[in-house]
Amino acid sequence: MISTSRSQQRLFNLFVFLVLCAGVVIAAAPLFYMISTAFKGSAYVQEYPPRLIPETVTLENFETAFTSRNFGRAFLNSAIVAIATSVLVTMLAATMAYSFARFEFRGKRPIYRVLLIMLMIPGVVLLIPQFILASNLGLRNSLPGLILVYSAGPLAFNTFLLRGFFENLPRELEEAAIIDGANSFTVFWRVMLPLAAPAISTVAVFSFLGAWDEYVLALNFLTDETLRTLPIAIANFRGQHSTNWGLVFAGSLTAVVPTVVLFIVFQRYFIQGITSGAVRG
Amino acid sequence: MSINLAQSHSNAAPVSRKRSEDRAKPYYRTYVPYLFLIPGLLLYFLWTVYPLIYQLYISFFDWKIMPGQVSEFVGLANYQEAFADKTFWLAMRNTAGYAIVTVAGQMIVGLALAILVHRVVVGKRFFRTIYYLPVVTSWIVVSFLFIYLFSPGNSGLVNYILLQLGTIDKPISWMAGADTAWIAIYSLGIWKGMGWAMVIFLAALQGIPTELYEAAAIDGADEFGRLRFLTIPLIKRTLMFVFVALMIGGFQVFLSVLMLTGGGPLHRTEVALTYMFDEAFGKLNFGYGAALSYILAIVIVIVSVLQTRLFGRQSQEVEY
Amino acid sequence: MKTKFLLIGLLMLGLVQVSLAQEPVTITFWHTYNEVSPENQTLVDTLIPQFEADHPNIKVQSVPYPYDGFRQALLTSAAGGEGPDLVRLDIIWSPEFAEQGVLMNLSENMPDFDELAAAVFPGPLSTNAYDGAYYGLPLDTNTRVYIYNPELLAKAGIEKPAETIDELRAQCEAVKATGESAFVFSDGGTSGWNLLPWIWSFGGDITDEAITTSTGYVNGEKTVAAIDFLHEMIDSGCFSDGFVGSGIDTWGGYFGGTIASMLEGPWLYPSAEGQYPDFEIGAALMPAGEGGHISVVGGENIVIGAGTKHPEEAMEFLRFTQSEAYQLEMSKVGQLTVLTSLLENEYFTDHPYYGIFLEQLQTARARTPHPRYTEIEGVLNDAAQFALRGEMTAQEAMDAAAEEIDAILAES
Repeated sequence: MISTSRSQQRLFNLFVFLVLCAGVVIAAAPLFYMISTAFKGSAYVQEYPPRLIPETVTLENFETAFTSRNFGRAFLNSAIVAIATSVLVTMLAATMAYSFARFEFRGKRPIYRVLLIMLMIPGVVLLIPQFILASNLGLRNSLPGLILVYSAGPLAFNTFLLRGFFENLPRELEEAAIIDGANSFTVFWRVMLPLAAPAISTVAVFSFLGAWDEYVLALNFLTDETLRTLPIAIANFRGQHSTNWGLVFAGSLTAVVPTVVLFIVFQRYFIQGITSGAVRG
Repeated sequence: MSINLAQSHSNAAPVSRKRSEDRAKPYYRTYVPYLFLIPGLLLYFLWTVYPLIYQLYISFFDWKIMPGQVSEFVGLANYQEAFADKTFWLAMRNTAGYAIVTVAGQMIVGLALAILVHRVVVGKRFFRTIYYLPVVTSWIVVSFLFIYLFSPGNSGLVNYILLQLGTIDKPISWMAGADTAWIAIYSLGIWKGMGWAMVIFLAALQGIPTELYEAAAIDGADEFGRLRFLTIPLIKRTLMFVFVALMIGGFQVFLSVLMLTGGGPLHRTEVALTYMFDEAFGKLNFGYGAALSYILAIVIVIVSVLQTRLFGRQSQEVEY
Repeated sequence: MKTKFLLIGLLMLGLVQVSLAQEPVTITFWHTYNEVSPENQTLVDTLIPQFEADHPNIKVQSVPYPYDGFRQALLTSAAGGEGPDLVRLDIIWSPEFAEQGVLMNLSENMPDFDELAAAVFPGPLSTNAYDGAYYGLPLDTNTRVYIYNPELLAKAGIEKPAETIDELRAQCEAVKATGESAFVFSDGGTSGWNLLPWIWSFGGDITDEAITTSTGYVNGEKTVAAIDFLHEMIDSGCFSDGFVGSGIDTWGGYFGGTIASMLEGPWLYPSAEGQYPDFEIGAALMPAGEGGHISVVGGENIVIGAGTKHPEEAMEFLRFTQSEAYQLEMSKVGQLTVLTSLLENEYFTDHPYYGIFLEQLQTARARTPHPRYTEIEGVLNDAAQFALRGEMTAQEAMDAAAEEIDAILAES
C-alpha cells in the first residue's frame, strides 16, 4: 500500500485506534453519566464529587417509573404510534418518490419545488393551525389523529431521499417486468421496493424514531391520560419545584433503549440507505 | 450498487436521453402517476401546506385565540413591528451564529471521525454505532442531560473535570452568562449531530477506489496532500448535501435552547424559534408570532437557495 | 284507554329520566402534580373515588401535565375550543386567562359563590379577581419562609437566624469564613417570586394600589434600596450568583452545608425526607426590613373552563375541593389549605412545620393581580438582571422598568 515500513504502519493504526477511543469517551460519556444517575437512589440534589460509577446501585428509580400509573401504557402507545407512523410514511413517501422518479406528468416540477421549499419550514411554527385543524376534523385526543399528523411532516424529506435512490436503480428489471405485462403497481411493489430495501428501511427506521421521541404535538393533542405517549410520561416526572433526576433519567433510558436496539439491528441496511441518498443526491 | 464517482455521472446522460425517447410511448395510463402521488401529497398538503397558509392569514391580524373573539385586522403592522424589533434581530443573529458554529463543528468533527473510522483496522462497526448514538437520542433527553452536565458549582461534571484539569480555578456558572451558555448550547448541537455527518462521510469515503490513493502516493503526495487534492474534491457532492441539510437544521434549533437557557439571561441566548414561541405562548401575541415565523421561514429559504447556488448545485436537481 | 296512554307516557318519561340520570358525565381536571408525587396519589386514589361515590353520575378524569408545557397546552386547547372542565391554575395566570375569556365567571354563575368565598383566606381569594368579578376559587396556598441551617450558623458562631435584614447583612462575614463557596443566602433568579419578598420587606412596591402607575413605586426609593442591597450582597460574595441565573443548586448547597439560608415553600420538607432524613431544617419568618416580614403568596386556584360542556358537574367538583375533607387530605401531602376554619383543626395546631407558613401567610402578599402581570414581571426581571449584574445602576434599571411598566398599564 503506502510506502512506509510495517511497524510505522502498525503505529499509525494504533494511533488512529486510540484517537477513536478517546472520541468514544466524549460521545458516550454523557450517556453513561445518564445511566449511572438512573441507578442511583432518589436524587434531587447532585452529589459532590460527581461519580460516574454510583456508590450504591439501586433499581428504585426504575421501579418507581415502571409502577407509576400509565407508564407501561405510555410505552405501548408510543410503540403503536411509532410503528403506524413508520408504515404510513414509508408507503406514502415511496409512492410519491416513485412517481417523481419514474414518471413524467404535468405539474411535476412545481410540486417538487414546493416540497423542497417546505423542507425549510420549522415544524413547531405550525402548532396552532395544526391544532385547530385537528380539532375541526375531530382528530384531537386520538391516536389515529396523532399518527396522521406525525406521518405528514416527514413526507417531504423522505420522498426526496427515496427519489434519489430510485433514480439510481437500474431500469432493466422494471423493463423486463413491463414486457412481461406487469402494470405500474406490480412493478412498484414487486420490483422497485425490494431493490430499494436499504432506503426503505432507512425511511422506516427514521420515521419510527421521529414519532417515538416527539413531544410538543403529543403534549397538546392528547389530553386523555390513557392515550399519552412516552415522552410526556417522562416529562411528568419533573416536578414544578424540584426534580428527581434519577427518576427522569430512568424513564429516559427506557425510551432510549428500544431506539438503540433498533439502530443496532438495522444498522447495516439503513446506513447504506441514508448514504446512498446523500452521496448520490 | 454501482459506485458513483463524479466522473461516472457523464455516463448517466446518454441513458436518460434514450429514456426520454422511449417516453413518447408510456406503458401506463396518464392518470397512473397521479395515483401514486395523490395519497401522500394530499396528506402532506392538508397537514403542512394548509396550516402554513392559515398561519400567513393569522399574521395579518392581532389574533385572538379564543373562538368567538374578534381579531382585529392589522395588515402589515406585525411585520413592520418585527423589522423594528431589536430583540428579534438579536435572536436571528444568534440563530445564524449557532448554525454556522455547529455546522462547521459537525462537519469538521464528522469528517475527521469518518477518515479515522475509514482507516482503523478493527472495530469499524463498533465505532460507527457509538458515535451515532447521540443522533438517535431525543432532543429532550439530551437537553436534560446537558443541563445536568453543565450544572454550576463543583458538582456539575463539566466543572468538576475542568477544575481537576486545572483549566479553571473556580466553577463556572454556565447558564448565567451568554458566552458560557453558548458553549454549552453549541457543544450540545455538535455532540448530537457529529455522528450523522460522520456516517454519511464514511460511506462517501468508502466509495473512493483505493487505487487512486496509491497513484497519488506514488506521485509523492503525503497525507494532507491526499486529503486536500483527492478526497475532498471527490466527495464534494456529499459535502454539499451535508452542509445544506445541517444548515437547515441549525436554523431550526429550538428545544435545546428552550430547555437550557429559555433564551436568557436577558434574551441574550434567544434564537428565532424561542423568541417566536415566547411571543405567541408567553405574551399571547399570536399574530405577531406568526409574522415572526414567516420571516424566519423566508430567511431559511433564501439562505438555502444561496448556498446551493454559491457552492455549485447538484445536477440532479436540474434535470427532470 | 286514555289512562293507559298516560301511564305509558309517564313510564317512558320516567325511564328516560332515569337513563339520562344514569349516564355518567365525565369531566376533566387538568393539573401539574408530578405523576409519582403523593399529591397526585391522594387525588387519584382517595379524593376522586370519594367524590365519585357520592356523585354516581359524575366521573372525574385527572390529567397531569408537565409544568413547563402547561401554559402552552392550556392555550392551544382553548384555541381549539376544547379546553378542560376544571384546571388547577397558577394564581398569577388567573387575571390573564380571565381577560382572554378562558375562564368561567364564578361569582356570576355559581349560586353559592359568596358562601364559599367567605370561607377562604382573603389573600388567595383576591388572586381570582378580574374586572369586578371572580373567576375561580383558591385551591391551595403556599408562601416562602426563611429556611436556615442551624448547624452551619452554629459553625459560624451565630446562635439565632437573622430576624431583620440588617442582622442578615451582619452575619455574612462569619458565614463566609466557614468555608469555600459558603453563602449566607441563595436563590435562583429574579422573578417576582424571588424579588418581591425583598422589595416588600424593604417597604417598596411595584405599582400603586389601584395598579395604574408604577413610577414612584418600582423606581421609588425603597424598591431601589432593595435592589441595591441584593447587588451589594451578591458582589461581596454573601449571596450566591443564583440570582443572576447561574443555575446554582440552592438545595444542594443548603443540604450540603455551604448555603446557610434560602426562601422556600412547604414542599421542601417531603422532598428532603427521602434524601436527607437526618437533616435539621430551621424555619423562621422572612427577615424584616422597614416594611415588615413580608413574603410572597403562591398557590393555585381552581377554575372552570369557559367552554365547559358540563358546568353543573364541574361546579359540584369545585365545591368538593372547598370541603374540609378535601382540604385536609391535601394538606397532609404538602398542599396547604385555604380554608380559615381548618386552622383550628388539631392537624394544623400540632403540625411539625406548617405553623411557620401559616404565620407568614398572615402578612404575605399576592403578586399584582393584573392580566398582563406576566409581561410586567418580565420587565422587572430584566431590570433586576441589569442591576444585579452591575450593567446598570439600580436606579437606572428601575427607571427604565417604570417607563415600560407604565406603558403596559396604560394600554390595558
